[in-house]
This record gives sequence, structure tokens and C-alpha cells, in this order.
Amino acid sequence: MEKVVKLQIDGKEVKAPAGMNLIDAAELVGIHIPHLCYHKGLKGVGACRLCLVEIEGMKSPVIGCNTKVREGMVVHTKTDKVQEIRKFVIDLILSIHPLDCMTCTKAGMCNLQQYAYEFELKETSFTRKKMGYPVDETNPFIRREPEYCILCGRCVRLCEEQGTKVLEFMGRGIESMVGTAYNKPLLESGCTFCGSCIDACPVNALPEADRWRKGREWEYEKVKSVCLLCGNGCGIIVSSKDGRIQKINTGEEIGSAKKYICAYGRFGYDYIESETRLKTPLKRTDGELKETTWKDALSIVADKLKKAGRGAGFISVAGIMNEDALTLKKLAKNVVKTKNFDTTISLYADGDSLKNSQTAIISTSDLIVLVGLNPSQWERILPALDASIRKRVNRGAKLIVINSSDIKIEEVAIINLKGNEISNLKGIAKALIGKGLKADRKLESSLKDVAITEEIEKAAKLIIEASEPLIFSSPSLFEASANIALIKGKVIAVGFESNARGIALMGLTTDGKTYKEMLNDGLKVLYAVGEVPLNKRPNTDFLIVQNSHLTELAQQADIVLPSATFFEYAGTIVDYLGRLKHLHRAIEPVGESKSHGDIFIAISKIMGATIKKSTEEEVKKASQVKTKLASKPFVRKEGLDISPNELIESINRSVIHGSRLLWLKEAVGATAA
Amino acid sequence: MTTIATEFAMNKDILIKVCTGTGGIASGGEAVLSSLKNAISSAGIESTFYERCSIHKVGCRGFCSRDLLVDIIINGEKTTYKNVKPEMVPRIVDEHIIKGIPVKEWAVGEEYYTFHNKQTKVVLAHCGEIDPEDIHAYRAVGGYEAVGKALTSMSPEEIIDVVKKSQLRGRGGAGFPTGFKWELGLRIKSDIKYVICNGDEGDPGAFMDRSVMEGDPHSVIEGMIICAKATDSHQGYVYVRAEYPLAVKRLQIAIEQCYKEGYLGKNILGTGFDFDLKIFQGAGAFVCGEATALMRSIEGKRGMPTPKLWRSAEKGLWDRPTVLNNVETFANISRIILNGADWYSNLGTERSGGTKVFSLTGKVKNTGLIEVPLGISLREIIYGIGGGIEGGGTFKAVQTGGPSGGCIPSEFLDIGVDYESLAQVGSIMGSGGMVVLDETSCMVNTAKFFLEFTQAESCGKCTPCRIGTKRMLEILERITAGKGEEGDIELLEDLGQYIKATSLCGLGMTAPNPVLSTIKYFRNEYEAHINEKKCPAAVCRDLITYSILEENCNGCGACKRACPADAIRGVRKTPHRIDPDVCVKCGTCFDACKFHAIMKI
Ligand SMILES: Cc1cc2nc3c(=O)[nH]c(=O)nc-3n(C[C@H](O)[C@H](O)[C@H](O)COP(=O)(O)O)c2cc1C
Ligand code: SF4
Ligand code: SF4
Ligand code: SF4
Ligand code: FES
Repeated sequence: MEKVVKLQIDGKEVKAPAGMNLIDAAELVGIHIPHLCYHKGLKGVGACRLCLVEIEGMKSPVIGCNTKVREGMVVHTKTDKVQEIRKFVIDLILSIHPLDCMTCTKAGMCNLQQYAYEFELKETSFTRKKMGYPVDETNPFIRREPEYCILCGRCVRLCEEQGTKVLEFMGRGIESMVGTAYNKPLLESGCTFCGSCIDACPVNALPEADRWRKGREWEYEKVKSVCLLCGNGCGIIVSSKDGRIQKINTGEEIGSAKKYICAYGRFGYDYIESETRLKTPLKRTDGELKETTWKDALSIVADKLKKAGRGAGFISVAGIMNEDALTLKKLAKNVVKTKNFDTTISLYADGDSLKNSQTAIISTSDLIVLVGLNPSQWERILPALDASIRKRVNRGAKLIVINSSDIKIEEVAIINLKGNEISNLKGIAKALIGKGLKADRKLESSLKDVAITEEIEKAAKLIIEASEPLIFSSPSLFEASANIALIKGKVIAVGFESNARGIALMGLTTDGKTYKEMLNDGLKVLYAVGEVPLNKRPNTDFLIVQNSHLTELAQQADIVLPSATFFEYAGTIVDYLGRLKHLHRAIEPVGESKSHGDIFIAISKIMGATIKKSTEEEVKKASQVKTKLASKPFVRKEGLDISPNELIESINRSVIHGSRLLWLKEAVGATAA
Repeated sequence: MTTIATEFAMNKDILIKVCTGTGGIASGGEAVLSSLKNAISSAGIESTFYERCSIHKVGCRGFCSRDLLVDIIINGEKTTYKNVKPEMVPRIVDEHIIKGIPVKEWAVGEEYYTFHNKQTKVVLAHCGEIDPEDIHAYRAVGGYEAVGKALTSMSPEEIIDVVKKSQLRGRGGAGFPTGFKWELGLRIKSDIKYVICNGDEGDPGAFMDRSVMEGDPHSVIEGMIICAKATDSHQGYVYVRAEYPLAVKRLQIAIEQCYKEGYLGKNILGTGFDFDLKIFQGAGAFVCGEATALMRSIEGKRGMPTPKLWRSAEKGLWDRPTVLNNVETFANISRIILNGADWYSNLGTERSGGTKVFSLTGKVKNTGLIEVPLGISLREIIYGIGGGIEGGGTFKAVQTGGPSGGCIPSEFLDIGVDYESLAQVGSIMGSGGMVVLDETSCMVNTAKFFLEFTQAESCGKCTPCRIGTKRMLEILERITAGKGEEGDIELLEDLGQYIKATSLCGLGMTAPNPVLSTIKYFRNEYEAHINEKKCPAAVCRDLITYSILEENCNGCGACKRACPADAIRGVRKTPHRIDPDVCVKCGTCFDACKFHAIMKI
């Protein structure tokens, strides 16, 4: 554990972990040291000079953002001297800032506005001057308004730390500004439009492109929730007004760089109201899909399911919530009485790898081993994992990549082990044992003829030296990777959908036919839940599609049931790191759409059975599987290698095509061509 | 080819030295060098003569206002020629070298000897004397003996002890005691440590470090090797701005020679000590001379200062312990090791040992590079070495320390030049700039000139320096344009104090100095600009009016013809008149009139 240091700030005793800076330490006791360039989670750089404080025994004031706590320190944060300095700094900034707070979209959230208020500065006491910078409106995501920029550099540092490195300082003196290399538009500068910089900016220099007239900060209703669009399941804060979502920010408290969300999570929400959004149930009459009532649609569904019984099958995506999954399982197993219920996780994982994965925290790990995975912010495959790893590496952690293909994140790895992953994992296990680490006999004896290269030797040495090694593995290589974790470290199999782990834990893994088998086996009734990655109607007598949008598959269905999006009802998921996360309702369901769970309950009611709404208790109980790692043979599970790109684009097709993300897809496609 | 070797030329040792520093080259050094070689070889003297007659490129010797300087030393007797042009070469060769009679009227005069004799040369001792591209020449004057001594017979602690006792302080500006810096460097243990030489020299007009790197590069390298030994470091960088191609070239040659002769690389002089040295060419921003910005620049990042949470001694370049010193600081080291700490410290004052190189410019008779013991008075420098005010004007102030230094008025001419005394009167030592100003300099305008530079060179990172210096500059612009308002002086003082107190790095912390010091000593000039809308020195264009003094004007019409704005009225042979509404105040008429009839007030 970290050492604790005792100090005094404004007369209050503070106990802070060694290494903490004064701004964070003061916050522990409710004292706010004004700051603009410091961003929680990023290193202090001392640019704005607002956080100057006085420390007894030191001649001149020091910056709080970059001064660490020391035992016995006596700090004063509000002396006349530093208050005067702060006023001077704000005064100077105001002399070069557009003072249009009355219409500024950042009003209410703007740190500069707040400090001007606190220091009672209505105007600058210097001559005010405009720089006359043009506004950058070359994309539908982020507007760049350099005129507002106070050069705090938060955006530059954040973008650099997460590995995108798009923004940089340019120019000198008063003409310094933040720009891109060669001043090219963001799209041509490798920007992924994650919008991290939007959240970082303390002023209005980087607002969302469509923010103007979409409501003022204080008018919003803010709800903490989770994005379910990819395997990371990132925390988000949803701001809505008049029943519509106006913007989405990262789930971390404002003023902190700890969390990342990608363009899907931040800008995909337009799809809620896109043209293909389903508002009522549909049923096929005379070869055409026509609107109908819930009552009618559900009674047909109930009837078909009852008749089909064991001949019915359910396929679902793994982006549904735990409560939905539990209800679906009950409907299938107890009411319809079929063994055929499976999800898309079976395309890339076996349930055990996800279930047996351990719980871990990336932010304290000092060595990350990536086995057979290719996270990429640019391709939006597990982008938050990519960003988190890069952030950790920038903070001194090390990365080992074990992958037979060339992948982008290699560029920050200290060791890249190419060639067959299984042989490399075997090599590492053997090298670890060779260096004196304990392993069980069976494992040891299975490694007799394994070769150890110099690189493997180095990797093993790093694992031994690390205090918290963490292995992220593709599910197909989980058991082989787990053999290493049995010797040292933790292991996690990462799925590509937000609730893959939750689905496995809730037990929505088939007792009968698998997902793929159900598509071909000519079931009497096939019931598809969510945006399953299918364009063509599978071989079945009767197809039910339950989704928020009218997909290509839904157009070929016999019955279409409109489900609510994850913004429209509450529930939980278990994210890839094993954390139970809560989703809250941000807006009312559009049209007559209902949550998946509610639809299942309604069906079973018509079928004469009662399923109770699943509770969090139930979810928690289901999540409590004791993970027992046991040494297994070093083999790769076959049949699990789908293309993650295709899967993610396919399960998010309505999101991409129903939002400004389409611009990005087409623009990237155009530049690639 | 006839062989008419004179009796004189046959038996003598002849040594010719041509200045080929950047200044020398700019004054035609290379051309003179080749015409010398031509003239001698075609003089028809027998072949051994050419061999005996050695011609050397040497570095700058400081007296740049008389460039090109050529020394001809015959049997130890030296004649120095000034302002040498290629066309002068044949006569010098014929009369002096062949016939033995120096060309008196081309030789330097008394002022050259005053200029040199009043100096104490330690760092510049070999500049202008030895061939900088020849390691043997350096060795011939004792070069690398100090490395030999330090590596074979001294422990790191002993080296540090000598440097500490010598009272050598950093010559890059701040004057941090070098020995202490090294001690810190040694105390921190790490498998990788760096030694960096700061040769950025961004001050406009400064060329002390450049002259040393060009004229005596080995002395810098020798200092670095000894520093590496003292701090247990094995890798070094010389950071030179890319605008110094000659310095880069000479350092490169010197480093190659060192690797060949075993002064760099593995197992130096068989002592088991390793040290590798590389040159890094900087992009040449002023702020890159600041230690932390310089390290970021070597790391490939934008040259922006970073807060000194850890002193560089602990976490410097790539977060490794790093000792960084200025060029001149390093150049002193070998001499200190050889001559002893007492010798060096006795040259200077109690708290600042040794000598310091200054570039003396402005309104003095003898401008150039000078080296003087610390503690010497400003008066001795300006009136002794400098020969007094050029053109018979009167001294007004001396601006020291480069663009962020202050202006010192005549009442302080007798203070001794050292770190503390200069700080006491509101200026700094800086890297050693010294600009002499006379009554024709406007102090407000001078302050504005320096601030223009620093504000444009601010890296833009921190608020006070980025915005504050700009606001100060705007006020100065206003004042010099005749739009000054009551309260402007106080506003400048306030801004200046705040910027000094709150900026992140030395640039911002010193940028207000020229303004604050001129306000302090020449407040009346500011007041004249603001209240009377007058520039007492008649420099600020918007505040001057040109008029014609009737009694001096004979109506020659020279001014009328010269005026680009057609502002002058008058008939030939009768006094002319300037129409103030049309006059653009360019001053052309002032220069055109031969009868002192144009008045500028
Ligand atoms: C804006 C700025 C520019 C500087 N430029 C130089 C420079 O050109 N050369 C130099 O040696 N030191 C320069 N310095 C000082 C360095 O930061 C550093 O203190 C010095 O190089 C240390 O060497 P010393 O101890 O030998 O003087 C500069 C400092 C500042 C704040
Ligand atoms: S959107 Fe993301 S990648 Fe683009 S500039 Fe901002 S932080 Fe960098
Ligand atoms: S754009 Fe915003 S975050 Fe970036 S430097 Fe400017 S003010 Fe700071
Ligand atoms: S004081 Fe000026 S040069 Fe130094 S860090 Fe601040 S802005 Fe940059
Ligand atoms: S927050 Fe510390 S200087 Fe900006």
C-alpha cells in the first residue's frame, strides 16, 4: 500500500497518499485550489499559473498542480498574495477571450466563467484584443474555436496520452495556438473523433459541432449510464432536455481525464430517432409488413411459441442487459420449454472463458500482456481498451504483445512475440518455471520440449519483476493464457460485445442448439433479439425479430417487435473487467417500444406463466461464480475467429447508418480508397 | 620560374594567422586566406619556404569591428593587420614577408592593444591563436592535459572539490555554482546519466559561445569529459543551434579527432572510463536555451519549459539524471584543473571566481568580444577596453544581460560586474551581452525593442508570459506613438511585477526587466512621452517634428529633392519650410542637409 503523508492545508489536517499533488490533496478536505490547466488524471504542467499557493518556509508561491505533498508541509491556498495573482491571471486571460457568456454554449460549465465570477471580474482591466482565428467546422463532431482557447493544453495532453496524438501547440508568443500537424482538418490528422478533447476543454474552444442551441448546461437532466455499443461498456453521462438526448460525455466526473469513450458512444445517439426506428409492432399480412397492436402481435408470438415448444429457438446479441438475459432464459427454458437459446458470444467465445475471467483494474497494473487481441481506437475495436493501455504505458507500465499478426498497438509494446501464440505462451510458462516460479506438475511436464527464445526470456523476466501483471486474452486463447496467470498475474478473456461477460454469467448459453446451428436447422420458430449480425432470413418457418430498428433482417420477418434502446430503460451489465455497471433511463422509450425484458414478461403472461421482473439481487447472485482456474492443455479453441470489425459494424448497423457516424464511415472509406 | 629568395625570407620562421570565425568569414576570411596562399607560392620562393611558412585558420579574437584581422609573426615578432582585403595581400607578402618591412599604415593601432591588454583571457586564451580544426595545435598549448590529470589521478570527489573551490559559477545566465551542480549530479545514482552542453545562445547579437565553439572547440569537449568523469556519466550532448553551421562543423571535426585519439569513446586513455558525445542541432528558438525546454527539444518534443519538480540533476533528459552547463562554463574547466582552484578564484571576486566573456556593443569605440575578471567595474570596461563613447557623445546607460536584462545608468558605472551587483541594480549577468547607449537612445524605445523580442519568443505556455508581455508591449507601443495615458507607467510596473512573480521559466521571469529598470532610472523619459508627447532623444518617430532653421538654410534645395513625400516648400536660394501635415517623418532631409538646418525635436 502507498505511504500516507500528513500535512496541513489552510489549517486543516490532511492525510494524503505520498505522491499526490496539492490540488488533489486539498480536495480531500473540501478545499478547492483554482486551476485551469490541471486536469485530474493528467500530469500537472504549470501553464496557467492559477494554482499558485504558499508553503511555509518557501520564499515564493509554488504551483499546486505539480507540487507533491510532503510530511509536515503547511500550505496556505488563500493568502492575499496568491488571490491577487489569480485575479491577475484571470484578468489577463479575459483580455484575450470573447466575453460572450450570454450565448456561449459552455456557459454554466466553463471554468473561466466560474473564476471570473469568483474573482469579481466583469471585464478585463487591460485592453481587449481579438485574434481573429477562423472556426474549424470541417466535421460533424467537433468544432474548433481557437478564439476561445486559453492554451491550457489539456486537449493536447489528453490526446497524446491516449495515443492519438492529433493536437499540438504551434506558434510562439501571443500567437501560440493549438492545432494539428500542418494545420490539416481533424479527419486528415488521424483523429478518431472520440471527443476526449471536448471533455477536456475548460472553455468553449472545442464544443460538440451541433451544440449550438441544443440547450444550456443547467437545463439538462443528467443521467449516469453505460454505452452498450462495443465490448468495453464505457461509463457515460447522458444529458437530455425536453425528452431528447442533447449530448453525451464521458462517465467520469467533469474535470478528469480518467475515462475514455469513442465516437460511437459519444455521437451514436442520433440513431434513437433515425428513420428506421420502430415505433409499433409489425406483422406480415399479404406478404407485407404492416403496423399492428402489441396485443395482436404478442398473441401471435405466444401462439407460435407454444406450438413450437422444443422446436423454437432464441438467438440474441450480447449487448442486452443482465435483467433482459435472465428473463429471456426463463421464457425459453421455463415457459416455452426449449433448450435452444444462444447469443452472438458463441461466435467468438465459449462461455467458460468469459465466466472464469478474473476481475481487475487497469489503472494500477504495471505490466499488460495482450494475447491474440487487436484493440484499436482507429478501427473502433475495443477502443477504450486500446486507450487505457496506451495511457498506462505513458505512465510507465509495460506492454507485451503476443500476436501472430501485425497490429497497431505493437508500436507501444516493449516486447512483441510473433509467430504462433500457443508456442509463445508455452515458452513463457516454461521460462517462468525455469526462473523458479511454482507451477503444478502437470503443467510443468507438458512443457518438456518447448523452446525458449531470447525474447520469451525477456518477457518472462518482465512478468517476474512486475507487481501486477494483467493478461488480456482473446477467448480462444484464454485457457492457454490462464496457464500463465496460474503461475503469476491475472487473466481476462475479452469479448466484443458490451455484456458478453454478463450474458455468460447469467447463463444465457445454450443447452441445445448453438447460435449457428439454429440458423440452419430449420426451426419451427426463430426468435431474434437485438441487432443480430444477419442480413438474410435464416431457414425457419416463422421468424420473429425484436429490435429497436427496422433492419434488413427485420424486413424479412413475420413479426417485428419494437424494443427500447439502452437509453430508454434501466438495468445492469458486467463489463469486460468484471465490474457490475448500472444503466439508468435517460429518456422515455420512443413510440410504443418496450424493454426486451418487459416484452418477454408480456409473452409469458399470455402463455399463462408468470415471470417476475429480474432484480439486481438475482443478477448479483448469478454473477457470483467462484472462478477456479485450473491448468489446461495449451490449445487454441477453434471456430471462434470471426472478424471483429465486421461483427461490430454489423451489430451497430442501425447506429452507424442512423447517425453522423455514417459521415465518418464514408469519409474514412473515401480517404482509404 | 625564377628563384629569387631574399636573404631575409630564407632563414626565418614565419607564422600567419587568419581569422576564420563566422565574423572573419563574413569579412572575406576565406578569400584572404587563399590569396595569401597564392601570393606566397607564386612569389617564386624556393619550395621549403612554403613549408616553413605556416598559414593557419584561427578563431575569432574578439575585436570584430576591425575584421578581417591577420597576424604575421616572423621569428616571434607579431604584426597585426586590420581590415584586410584580398587586394591588400600582395603588398603585405612582398614588403613584409619577403622584404621584412611591415606595412605600417595597415597595421592595427594603439586601440587594438588597449583593447586586448586590459583583458584577462582564460576562456578566450586560445581563440584566435590556435587552429581550431587541429587537435595537435590544441595539445601543443596544453590541451587534454587536464583530462589526463582528472582521469588518471583524481577521484570524482576531488574534481568536484576543485571546481567548487574555484568559485566557478554557471556562465549561462543564472550563475549557479558549477561545483554544487556536479556534486548533486554525482550523488544521484543511475545507470544512465547525461552531460549536456548548452550552446543554444539565443540572445540576439550574442556570439560569445559561438566564438568559443568555433575558435576552441576542444576546450568545450575537454570540460565535458571532466564533468562526465566527475558525475559518473557516460553520455553527452552538445546542443548547438542549427544557425551556427561553422560551430557545428568544428565541433564535429573535434569530436571525430577525439574518438581517433582516444579522448572519447570506450576506455579513454586506458583508464577504463567511457564517454560518448553527440551533437544535437536545435531549431534555434530563444526559449530552447532554457534548460528544461532544451531537454524536451532533444527528446523530440516542442521546446517548452517544464516545471522543475525534480531538479534536472535528478530527472532531466528522458527523466534521467542530467548535468547541463553552458559552453563557457565547460571551457573554463580544463584551465581550473591545471592551474588550480585558487588561481581561478583569485581572478574574480569573493563569491564569483574567474573571468567572464562579454560582447561589448553599442555606442563604444571598440566593440567586440572581451574577457574580463569578475568584479571589474563597468567604467573600466566601457572607458578602458571600450575606449569610451563613440563619436564623442555622452554615456546614458548600459544594457546588460541580453534581451531580458536591465539598463544601468551612469551613477552605477563604478559597481563591480558580478551576479549580485548587477541584480541589485535591476539587471542581470545573463549570458554576457553589454550594449552601451548614449544620449541618442530613447529609453522607452529601447525597452520596447527588447520586449518585442522576448514576447515574440515566449513559448506561449504560461499565461503571464504569453499574454502579459504582449499587453506590456501594447502599452509601450501606445506610449511611443504619442498615445500614452496617465497611469500607463504604473500599469507597466504592476504588470511587470506580476509577470516576474508568476511566470514558469526564466524567460517570463526576466522579460519585464528592461521596462522596469528604465522606468526606475529614466522615469522622466516615460513622463515626457506621455505628458508632453515628446521623445527627449528624438527617436520615436510619432513624437518628432522636423523643421528648418531659417538662419542656417541657404536654399540649396537638397532636402526638397530628397524628400519622398514632397513635404518641403521653398524657392531656390531662399529658406525652405517643411509642411508638417505632409511630412512622414522619415528623416531623409535631416541626412540630406549639409548645413545643419534641419531640426529634429
Ligand atoms: C529563456 C532562457 C534562455 C536561455 N538561453 C540560454 C542559452 O542560450 N545558453 C545557455 O547556456 N543558457 C541559457 N539559459 C540558461 C539555462 O537555462 C541554464 O541555466 C544554463 O544553461 C545552465 O548552465 P550554467 O550553469 O553553466 O550556466 C537560458 C535560460 C532562459 C530562461
Ligand atoms: S477527438 Fe479524440 S483523437 Fe480527435 S483530437 Fe480530440 S482527443 Fe484527439
Ligand atoms: S482547446 Fe481547450 S483544452 Fe485545448 S488548449 Fe485550448 S482551452 Fe485548453
Ligand atoms: S515564461 Fe514564457 S517562455 Fe517560459 S514557460 Fe512561460 S510562456 Fe514559455
Ligand atoms: S493548474 Fe497549476 S499552473 Fe495551471
